[in-house]
Amino acid sequence: MAGKKVPFYEEFVVFSRKTPTSPCQEQFTLLAPNHEIALVMAQENFMRREKVCDIWVVKRSDIRCMTPEERKTLNRIDNKDYRNTKGYGYLAKFWRKLDQGMLDEKEILSWSKGRVVE
Amino acid sequence: MAVSVRDAEKVKYREFMERIEAGEKIEADDWMPDDYRQALIKLISMHGISEIMGALPEKEWTPKAPTLYRKLAIMAKVQDEVGHGQLLLRVAEDLIKPYGKTREDLIQDLFAGRLKFHNVFHWKTKSWADAGLIGWLVDGAAIITQTNMLDCSYAPYARALKRIAAEEVFHAQHGEAIAVALATGTEEQKEMLQDALNRWWPALLMFFGPPTAELTGSSKQEITIKYKIRKNTNEELRQFYLTKYVPRIQGLGLTIPDETLRWDDEKKEWIYKQPDWNLFLKITRNEGPMSQERLRLRRLSYENNAWVREALGLNTKIFAS
Repeated sequence: MAGKKVPFYEEFVVFSRKTPTSPCQEQFTLLAPNHEIALVMAQENFMRREKVCDIWVVKRSDIRCMTPEERKTLNRIDNKDYRNTKGYGYLAKFWRKLDQGMLDEKEILSWSKGRVVE
Repeated sequence: MAVSVRDAEKVKYREFMERIEAGEKIEADDWMPDDYRQALIKLISMHGISEIMGALPEKEWTPKAPTLYRKLAIMAKVQDEVGHGQLLLRVAEDLIKPYGKTREDLIQDLFAGRLKFHNVFHWKTKSWADAGLIGWLVDGAAIITQTNMLDCSYAPYARALKRIAAEEVFHAQHGEAIAVALATGTEEQKEMLQDALNRWWPALLMFFGPPTAELTGSSKQEITIKYKIRKNTNEELRQFYLTKYVPRIQGLGLTIPDETLRWDDEKKEWIYKQPDWNLFLKITRNEGPMSQERLRLRRLSYENNAWVREALGLNTKIFAS
């Protein structure tokens, strides 16, 4: 009994990154005989207009996806307020009284500019 | 021949500098100067291991948290910190790979004192107010430092920091919520918070490191700024922190334990009493108040969890067969 025959074409999943700091995003899948051809085809099929800084191709058989049954376990129960900022909204009012702003995402990410002396 | 190799290195270095000057990012498989790689390894492995070293004592507060909500929140925060450690250690591992080193080497370096963990995790905690103050002001200092590197020239670190910064918003508010609750609570609670601030103030100033290398013998700040890993010096970060946090601390009715602290409008900087930099030096040698205890906790955790690592490997073998 011969082993499982590897088909000439294999399925590849294509990912791309828009900027060096953005996450890699799945684009689509394609058929190709090897990684090199998959990479060329990925560029020609999915990145004809979109500007990207990196492209990945991964054999679909190397990706362990969840089964439909497993995916059901991803449903969230709405009881995780303690894990996010939702429960701390009242702080905004408190700090306003003290002429201070809320340390929200906008404020904290603005600190990336570093110290600017006015 | 030797000259041409040197020339080729110079060209590579010039191209590398032109790239980062232009705001381009460096990936793990790009050519990079050795001192850039070394600076990144030192910084990121210390950052990664510090997340874990900070999470271990912080988790000790879970059973002592005063309400179920605080208990859940601090558990979520500790889980985040360990997650940050995992992200950062992955970045460090890719950098040490060319030397044939792995995470195991980093852990052994920590135990042997070759890899340092952040100076703020060598201090003692006393009460729930300390846990609140750490969440508020120590995390605040960490956020100032980390956001300063969000545009870092090394792309994998910048990507990790982007994820971390998003979660730090929750940490900042979690810490503030505890501090606000204590500051607006009973006299005893207010005293607890003031006492925590009195003990932690020098550690908060030390957090950012010495203003100059002369003060403590060495500092990597020049090289990290030159290579656009970070934007500001230690002192600039400390000044930025004081600007952001002094009004908030005073707004809560707390007294900062430094009579000399003031904003100098002419110099456009905060004047403050320098912390004891000799103590800082002792801490960097793992001779701080809790250095050995924290290392003991880490060793214990590493030994106690050895069976988990083994079991995971065993599992892989079963699936592969």
